[in-house]
Amino acid sequence: MSNEVVVRVNNVTKRFGERVIFESVSLDVKKSEVVAIVGPSGAGKSTFIRCINHLHAFDGGSIEVLGHVLVGGTQPTRAELQQLNSKVGMVFQTFNLFPHLTVLDNIILAPMQVKKIARQDATDQAMNLLKMVGLQQKAQSFPKRLSGGEQQRVAICRALAMEPELMLFDEPTSMLDPELVGEVLEFIQRLAGGGMTMLLVTHEMMFAKDVADTVVIMADGGIAEKGPARQVLEAPRTERARSFLRRVLSPMAHDDRDLVANGGDET
Amino acid sequence: MFHIVALYTGVLLKGALKDVVLTVVSSILALILGALGAIGRIYGGPIVGGAIYWYVEIIRGLPAILQLFILYFGLSQFGIDLNPLSAAVIWLVAYGTGYAVEIFRAGIVDVAEGQHEAAKALGLSRFTTLRKVIIPQAFVSMMPNLTSFLVLQLKNTTMLYLIGYADIMYQARLGADATEQPGPLYLMVAVEYLVISAAIARIGSRVERRIAAYR
Amino acid sequence: MPVFLKGVGITLELTAAALGIALILGFLLALARLSTIRPMVAIATTYIEVVRSIPVLVLLFLSYYSLGQVGLKLSGPVAATVSLGAFYATLYAEIFRGGILGVDRGQTEAARALGMGRRMTMVRVILPQAFFSILPNATNQLSNLIKDTSLVFTLGVADLMFQAQAASATTFQPMDMLLLAGMIYFAFYLILSKVLARWEINVQRSRS
Repeated sequence: MSNEVVVRVNNVTKRFGERVIFESVSLDVKKSEVVAIVGPSGAGKSTFIRCINHLHAFDGGSIEVLGHVLVGGTQPTRAELQQLNSKVGMVFQTFNLFPHLTVLDNIILAPMQVKKIARQDATDQAMNLLKMVGLQQKAQSFPKRLSGGEQQRVAICRALAMEPELMLFDEPTSMLDPELVGEVLEFIQRLAGGGMTMLLVTHEMMFAKDVADTVVIMADGGIAEKGPARQVLEAPRTERARSFLRRVLSPMAHDDRDLVANGGDET
Repeated sequence: MFHIVALYTGVLLKGALKDVVLTVVSSILALILGALGAIGRIYGGPIVGGAIYWYVEIIRGLPAILQLFILYFGLSQFGIDLNPLSAAVIWLVAYGTGYAVEIFRAGIVDVAEGQHEAAKALGLSRFTTLRKVIIPQAFVSMMPNLTSFLVLQLKNTTMLYLIGYADIMYQARLGADATEQPGPLYLMVAVEYLVISAAIARIGSRVERRIAAYR
Repeated sequence: MPVFLKGVGITLELTAAALGIALILGFLLALARLSTIRPMVAIATTYIEVVRSIPVLVLLFLSYYSLGQVGLKLSGPVAATVSLGAFYATLYAEIFRGGILGVDRGQTEAARALGMGRRMTMVRVILPQAFFSILPNATNQLSNLIKDTSLVFTLGVADLMFQAQAASATTFQPMDMLLLAGMIYFAFYLILSKVLARWEINVQRSRS
């Protein structure tokens, strides 16, 4: 991890109508840093990472991403957004592969249309990516014929084909059957090992602890706690973070004195 | 009864052919205008979008026959005398466009929000997104509606005899008056519409299966 | 103007009568298609496929002129009601069937697991849930039915369209007369599509 800041979130506030989703959130992400965002559902985690590539507009504060500045309450130009989006990859909970295109066409669409790369070059690159995840023989299949785990790996390849400098993951494994989670996490872990900067919303606490440099706990419309992964997950300092971790790590326990540090081993 | 069938089959088929040609031509025009209208309705902002919205509402809110009469008889009050053929074409295109806008709009809107998000996250422009991601999927989901659209257009041609357009219905009426045998004649008309509708449905579902291979 | 009002009255009477036939026959057709008795499914399916492929105008002529020729002379209004009812029954049958099939299978399984019989499951569990998905389509078809009644003037039934036609001929101002009738039809359309739709949304919201 270098000291170059790739994403600077400054005091960002997001509302849906009257309802405040989160308020005054600030966060820096350095080059090659892996940031895991955890927290109870409804805490605005998915909305938060969608603000970073401006899939959602936000209302206050500013976000600086790879040299582009987004200011709350203003609409960036379409050209600027496209430029930003072509440098930021995103992986969705529901994969969102284009169902009418084959695996290969899913991956080469954006490189050809946005970066104007020749079909042959785009195809070579796509096949290399698919080989990395052992799916080269599925290149001509339609997404519906693939398992969830395979679809999600293709979706990651699709994002990587744009050679992004930053990857956003929105709960990439929560729609998967338990036995398929591993293959996707393993791929993400390899990317992290390769120095990719990433923000990852996840419910996989063990994975966050192992792979992330930094863990952010979002709750009650803000950041409850952030810091080095092990420290936040094993010895949280705020009560809000403790109560959240207690509930995820040992969902059956009603006893408030249940120990967080031990809880980590129970999952 | 059989001699009536034998006598009139040729005439009625000729009339039916006129209806089919009219349906195909007017439907193609209506679908092109409808696709443009749908894009205008969705992306056109409040003025263009609003105007298209009310156009569609008026087309859908008035009886088809009333719209035809407004064109053919109503306009004559202002000295605009359309001949039956041009009134028929204008009517079928104008009416069809109103319905086609809704079909295309629903098809576009039905494409899952995640598809828009994914396209945007990849940096695809709005035009590319529409062309490469949204329209191909919209087209598949609206295939059944396109089939019923064609059948609706075809059925509407039955009303054209009322303005003196010499189609199948017109011939059947002439025949019914001349022979005093309305029974077999209208039955033949019904059978011809049945066959053509079935053919449209058949072609529609075949095309649908072909282009929806990915599902 | 009074003749227009009279025409509106006949249009509405026709609509109500045809709707009655369409709803009852449509429901029976839907049940027949959903049944497990092969011949019933075949009869209902054939009826629906055949009748809905025939243009309303042709149905009107068949019931008025063709039936007349074989000795079954129907008056204009009766022929109009029967043909519109017969035609719309096919559309309502498909709406009912779709609504019933649209209720989650788990609901049937749950009701059966609780020991409810087929009929009780249908009446107590399935239909109440299907009702609210059926309603929007049903009102939509009702507004189509009103519009299609405008074709009955061809049988000499003195509905709104007939009056507009007649007035056009006597006043030599066809556009004015047609637009007047158009505004009345459009008002019905707006009532059904906007007011009723809003009411339906409210009802649905209050129940969820």
